[in-house]
Amino acid sequence: MILLFTIFKEHKGFGKQILLLAKNELIKTYKGAVIGPLWAVVKPAFTIFVYWFAFSCGIKTLKSVNINLGGPEPFSIDFFTFMFIGIIPWFFIQDSITQGAKTLRTNRQFITKVKFPVSTILTYTSISRLYVHIFLVAIMYVYVLFAIGPSWYNLQFFLYCPLMFLFFLALSWSTAPMSAFSKDFESLIVSIMSGIFWLSGIMYDSYGFVENPVLNFVMLFNPINFFVNGYRNCFLYNRPFFEYKTELVIFLAEFAVVFFLGIFNYNRLRKKLPDVL
Amino acid sequence: MAEAIITFKNVSKTYILYKNDQARFKALFIKPKNPKTNKALNNVSFQINKGESVGIVGDNGAGKSTLLKMITGVAFPDEGEIIVNGKVAALLELTAGFSMEMTGRENIYLKGYILGLEDDYIKTIEENIIEFAELGDYIDQPVRTYSSGMKMRLGFAINVNIEPDVLVVDEALAVGDASFKKKCKNKIKEIISAGTTVLYVSHSAASVKEICPRSIFLKKGTIIFDGPTEETLKVYEESKKKK
Repeated sequence: MILLFTIFKEHKGFGKQILLLAKNELIKTYKGAVIGPLWAVVKPAFTIFVYWFAFSCGIKTLKSVNINLGGPEPFSIDFFTFMFIGIIPWFFIQDSITQGAKTLRTNRQFITKVKFPVSTILTYTSISRLYVHIFLVAIMYVYVLFAIGPSWYNLQFFLYCPLMFLFFLALSWSTAPMSAFSKDFESLIVSIMSGIFWLSGIMYDSYGFVENPVLNFVMLFNPINFFVNGYRNCFLYNRPFFEYKTELVIFLAEFAVVFFLGIFNYNRLRKKLPDVL
Repeated sequence: MAEAIITFKNVSKTYILYKNDQARFKALFIKPKNPKTNKALNNVSFQINKGESVGIVGDNGAGKSTLLKMITGVAFPDEGEIIVNGKVAALLELTAGFSMEMTGRENIYLKGYILGLEDDYIKTIEENIIEFAELGDYIDQPVRTYSSGMKMRLGFAINVNIEPDVLVVDEALAVGDASFKKKCKNKIKEIISAGTTVLYVSHSAASVKEICPRSIFLKKGTIIFDGPTEETLKVYEESKKKK
């Protein structure tokens, strides 16, 4: 419990400041560009277009995806819708992992020059990414309303989204101080990211390895799948989050591990940060 | 007995000098065996009471900066204990810690929050700071548009106007043009006479003598002498001659 204390203590009474700095982070990213915040949409939109073009027009086989949710019959979903809903959380996850690892290094002035609650740096940069994410989800939801229609299950977004925010924030408690310590660690993370994309069920159904139950089980251990499938639960499958209990339990166990490892690593390295940055 | 405001109890600080980046990476997971180290501070103990003005003298690399960084809460000791009771304002790196995209006014609040001040209190000192920094309408412009002199003036103004309990001053500090420099010097003197504890780091004997009745002489991370400034400076001069 004492370990937990540092991070919470650093956040205490700093809420307003975190929001101000998060806003400031957004301004820093988009100011000076002619279309400004629209860049937050242009890049993902182009990425989505490229994947759709490559898979649906280039490799002509992929017009739809067969989904196996353990029901009697697999059902078919249009590839674009399937990919669109899965890739939106991925954009947030990707930025959280790569930017999250770099954050302390890029904000070193707050660590080596002044006394600053260091863990809040991770929080406010994360919140600024969350703003962008929510904006993208809003755009996606407009599409969902037209293509699929609203559903009560959509409300599960308010469970998955905060959970995703917390999970990757806790992950950065480990990765950010370690990257600050060693540039190799940072490069390692950045270079495995595109691999992680293809190992996660964004372009394909991670439940879909029907002939290979072992592989199907292994896929559950990738927390990214939990969120990608979670968003599809909300907007596409209309499935409650607790329906697939094995997946939920595995994820919660991983969350606990990441959370406590994060606290452990942060406390272990916090006091050394000003010396190495 | 006078009330202690800064207490150092057997404080030591060692910097590990990693051979290369590989060694650094390895140190993330395994504790390095017999690494090269640099002992910046070695078993340093002293106490500074409320209202005292203390000079810190010593050559480059004596550990002065490390000591100050610990008082301001930026760096941490490996061994020993440091107790600081109260707000610390540091006139060390005035332009550091600003958020460049935020306006001068927002940065005043940022600094205030870091020091644990409330909105109401910051509001009361806000005008003083703006006036002292002579920024005029620029206060609502992003700090990145400031000239380096303006940034320093703002940094200085914030630090001296928050009514600190401890003021850490590096003499090498140069703030703006001659008239503003004079204003700064007067302000520091005013703070001292108001009973604030001041730590003054300097190479120049004359200015230490002028401001601090007591001084600490640091050499290679150890306190060689701690006492009245006259005597400390004598010891300091002698050690210089020996070299």
